[in-house]
Amino acid sequence: MADNTVNLTIDDKAVVAPKGMNLIEAAKLVGIEIPHYCYHPKLCIAGNCRMCLVDVGMPKLGADRKPEIGSDGKMVVMFGPKLVIGCNTTVADGMVVLTKSPKVVKAREGVMEFLLINHPLDCPICDQAGECRLQEFSVDYGKAESRFVEEKVHKPKKTALNAKITLDDERCILCSRCIRFMRDVAGQDCLGFIQRGSHSTLTCYLGNEPKTNYDLNIVDICPVGALTSNDFRFQQRVWFLKQTKSICPNCATGCNTVIWSREDVVYRQTPRDNNDVNQCWMCDYGRINYKFINDPHRLTTPSVKSATLGQRVNLTWPEAIRQVVDKLRAAKRDSLAVIGSARATTEELYLLKKFSPSFAAYIPRVGTGDNFLLNTDRNPNAAGAMLTGFSSDYSVIADGIADGKIKTLIVLGEDAIVPELLAKLELLIVLDILPGKTTEAAHYILPGVTFAEKSGTFINAKNRIQRLNPAIPPLVGTKPEHLILSALLAELGGKRYATIQEVFADMTRDVPALAGLNLSKIGDSGVEVKS
Amino acid sequence: MTVPVELERHIDEIVTHYPPDKTRAATLWLCHLLQEYFGFLGDEQVLWISNKLGLQPINVWEVVTFYPMFTTKPHGKFHVKVCRTLSCELCGCKNIVAHLRKKLGVGLDENTTDGLFTISTVECLALCGTGPVMMINDETFENLTTEKVDAIIDRIRTTGRLDAQPLPMPLAAHPLEKRVLLSNITKPGYTGSLADYEREGGYTALRKALAMKPDEIVAEVKNSEIRGRGGAGFPCGLKWSFLAKGTGKPVYLVCNADESEPGTFKDRQLISYDPHLLIEGILISCHAVGAKVAYIYIRGEMPGGAKILQKAIEEARAKGYVGNGVEIYVHRGAGAYICGEETGLIESLEGKRAYPRIKPPFPAVVGLFGCPTVVNNVETLANIPHIINKGSTWFKTMGVSGSTGTRLVCVSGPVKRPGYYEFEMGKLTLRQLIFDVCGGLKDGRTLKGVIPGGSSMPVMKADQIDVPLDFESLRKAGTMAGSGGIIVLDDSVDIVGATLNVAQFYAHESCGQCTPCREGTLWMEKMLHRIERGEGRPLDVEMLYEVADNIDGKTICPLGEAAAWPVKAFVTKYREEFEKHGG
Ligand SMILES: Cc1cc2nc3c(=O)[nH]c(=O)nc-3n(C[C@H](O)[C@H](O)[C@H](O)COP(=O)(O)O)c2cc1C
Ligand code: SF4
Ligand code: SF4
Ligand code: SF4
Ligand code: FES
Ligand code: FES
Repeated sequence: MADNTVNLTIDDKAVVAPKGMNLIEAAKLVGIEIPHYCYHPKLCIAGNCRMCLVDVGMPKLGADRKPEIGSDGKMVVMFGPKLVIGCNTTVADGMVVLTKSPKVVKAREGVMEFLLINHPLDCPICDQAGECRLQEFSVDYGKAESRFVEEKVHKPKKTALNAKITLDDERCILCSRCIRFMRDVAGQDCLGFIQRGSHSTLTCYLGNEPKTNYDLNIVDICPVGALTSNDFRFQQRVWFLKQTKSICPNCATGCNTVIWSREDVVYRQTPRDNNDVNQCWMCDYGRINYKFINDPHRLTTPSVKSATLGQRVNLTWPEAIRQVVDKLRAAKRDSLAVIGSARATTEELYLLKKFSPSFAAYIPRVGTGDNFLLNTDRNPNAAGAMLTGFSSDYSVIADGIADGKIKTLIVLGEDAIVPELLAKLELLIVLDILPGKTTEAAHYILPGVTFAEKSGTFINAKNRIQRLNPAIPPLVGTKPEHLILSALLAELGGKRYATIQEVFADMTRDVPALAGLNLSKIGDSGVEVKS
Repeated sequence: MTVPVELERHIDEIVTHYPPDKTRAATLWLCHLLQEYFGFLGDEQVLWISNKLGLQPINVWEVVTFYPMFTTKPHGKFHVKVCRTLSCELCGCKNIVAHLRKKLGVGLDENTTDGLFTISTVECLALCGTGPVMMINDETFENLTTEKVDAIIDRIRTTGRLDAQPLPMPLAAHPLEKRVLLSNITKPGYTGSLADYEREGGYTALRKALAMKPDEIVAEVKNSEIRGRGGAGFPCGLKWSFLAKGTGKPVYLVCNADESEPGTFKDRQLISYDPHLLIEGILISCHAVGAKVAYIYIRGEMPGGAKILQKAIEEARAKGYVGNGVEIYVHRGAGAYICGEETGLIESLEGKRAYPRIKPPFPAVVGLFGCPTVVNNVETLANIPHIINKGSTWFKTMGVSGSTGTRLVCVSGPVKRPGYYEFEMGKLTLRQLIFDVCGGLKDGRTLKGVIPGGSSMPVMKADQIDVPLDFESLRKAGTMAGSGGIIVLDDSVDIVGATLNVAQFYAHESCGQCTPCREGTLWMEKMLHRIERGEGRPLDVEMLYEVADNIDGKTICPLGEAAAWPVKAFVTKYREEFEKHGG
């Protein structure tokens, strides 16, 4: 037996667990769930909900210090007089844990009943319905019928914890997860319980509300519907929503996320566990910044600026591709530049770079960071841009346009060159999702899609390559950029890529850092690339 | 809001009682001092305290709303607080409350229109032997009658002020008693001053101890087999030997003077009449466990006791007993029973809500300010000088095996001579105590039951009392020696009412941290209220037992059991009385 592991038995299953692990985690290793509310793997242990009570015993040792064998041929186990909480009990060699014994089930039913007697049980109008741990376990352990006939304790309902979060104290089960998160993780000790006993009430001090960039995480970790996000309240029943694994596109940290969508609308983003990136948190700035996906101003049709009519004319996709290819064929290769966005995927950037071996730059995007998740680099894929040959110094391109060296420009999702310069170009092709100064100046607009509508990868500040997955179909009239670029390249005599996998495979040959990788190797949690 | 310079200076001094990076611990003191001055703790006071101690306002607000002695709005100039807990209820405190309400023309927690009075009910004031009792501001009034109440209120009305109440005379010893800890207090002219204490041989044990190695003291205490007197009866020497060693952190000693288990009023006597015995015990214990700082956590409702201790510490400092390597500070609670539980106490000492901690780790490893800590009851510590002076062999000649030494017991309820007594453990039965020592029941009443160790311990029926008073005998009898508070119930007592009174206490005192106790205690109280009103249903008795059972053993701290056991015992032993109330 290795020094740092112990052997124990949980519900007749043999478990090898690392020393120091608690019983909830050890049970998870063998697929056993010990129900719990207050325990959270990333927070300190509170031990207050008492939902995780289990029966723990040790083998009875005979005179020879060896486990005694009973008449039934089984090891005699000495169980403690009391149940213990799984969240604060660490594994020990020889330990025998029962998570479903009658004693445990009775205790759990007791705790469930206690949690429910003063709970409003307004599930039909509760946002949390469908992802409420109380509702979930009450189905398994709660008594169907309440024998509580007394008056319930009343507490403040629907108060504004801050501008982002609504608090319903009657639903709160006082697990203190939110308090511990704000104090120990977000670094603002602002939540607390006031009063005591059954009247205990979660609150913050007036004028000292949660005001960090991480507040919304408490909505995620609240096991019930006591804390709800104003952005999401009553918008949708969660069970109607599709969940898609994604990456936040708002900074170079690349928090792993889940996009919650229905049909072609995205309703929210929540963090997804990845201990190498964001643990299980994300920042509010990133979380909230998804509204552009369903922006009514989205570009939805290719168009050309007609020199004769002096206005924009819509084109069909085949026509647009044909015209752009014609124009590109006529353009001189050494006067062509590309501006890529470090918000674009690595695959898109890789394809874009093929248009111009000489001038390729991306636009840096800098903001204030913190020492937790939010990075000063607000581009999710600057590392990918650099690996695929884009320079952060786009002044070269601006200068090139100014002195007439650059006559053709393809812009992918940026709006950084001033209109006076853009006006000097002979050909400006823009792939973007929303109108801006650059699309206004563009000869051709080819409408692309948002991160929620496509596949691809981002490489974060720590050189971790991570995957995007399409949560919703491309908006009608738009096309994922890798398909647009690959169609153009094919018409210009290059290879025609049918899938993102093919693009990726070629990219691994051209970009040494990515050698040997493929999309399935990257998986859901990403891998570090050689820098 | 301006805090007078004088007061702020006092506050700044208090803050130095705690490690420089742990001044949050001063929160309760600051709340007391600002409330004393401003009359209440509102927004300005909370912000002032949080600024002073470098805390977030929520940290202070949580504390203000946790402790019943703190108020967020002004009371009348004279806050009348009548004990409503069991022993006082048995002595008629309900009449006193009703009388006060009528006399002052206000409901509970309302201020009289002249702003002079507010009446509140409070939980046990550790004066159960002289009930009914009340406090007005910091003064204590015992053995209340309606006439007495009239006199007190009228005098305040006419003079506009509250007279300081003298300490009552200490109770003389009964022939069956063996007074060791209480040996000084009835000596003629004994005042409890340092001079008096030294005249009776005080502080010789400290001198002796200082010449001993700490390990030798621990060994002596271990050999004495003394068990803790706070309620759990844990062997004291063993507890000391569990202290984490070589951690590089300071060790703390905390004296638990929270005395709030209903029916218990023994520590109060030691503090009031012989404070130096406790101080000496603390100093010796500090030497034994290597503590440089000791805190005496005294319940907030004993302001007089806090003053006596403060004065005794100053006397001992003048003599060089305190301050020469060991500091003793008094830390006042603010009216929460759960501060008696040792980890709740530690949290409260740290300036927080008294939320008992999950164990492990135990205080001996991670205690006060994260350091190894010993928590001992007042009476336990008061035994230490005697053990050191006369030796563990002498100590073991008293009491019986497993329960060595003497024990202070407190008797309350309808007996002829309620009060505090000191006996060798195991040498006297409960029957002897009630009938021989306390003179039997009052007014020709008969015995119905006895709660032997504070209201959290299972009640014994009248025919179960031929049991010697020691840890093991009581345990074998299905109950516990607990805190030594013995509450006598006579035949006039309505068991449902008594159960309700006890249930109400624990529901009120539940810290609210863990689910079963937080929800279960209030549920039991509500059920019992309903049963008492005559709206019981046949299934209620069973349900009551089950709810108690669902709390029992499932909680963070033993308050869960303390709330469950009495209900279970009352329901089991007096079932017919519950059924009488039931539909
Ligand atoms: C709910 C509760 C209340 C308690 N109250 C007191 C108390 O008021 N005084 C006390 O000394 N111990 C009290 N205790 C016991 C303490 O937790 C602790 O065991 C004791 O102070 C240790 O001292 P000892 O070993 O000297 O008895 C209480 C325990 C519980 C669970
Ligand atoms: S609001 Fe939610 S997370 Fe916070 S204590 Fe209540 S139940 Fe727990
Ligand atoms: S830290 Fe960066 S990646 Fe994470 S959620 Fe915020 S903006 Fe998005
Ligand atoms: S048992 Fe009661 S008093 Fe003890 S921690 Fe739990 S809620 Fe608080
Ligand atoms: S998970 Fe709440 S007590 Fe263990
Ligand atoms: S003082 Fe009233 S019950 Fe103890």
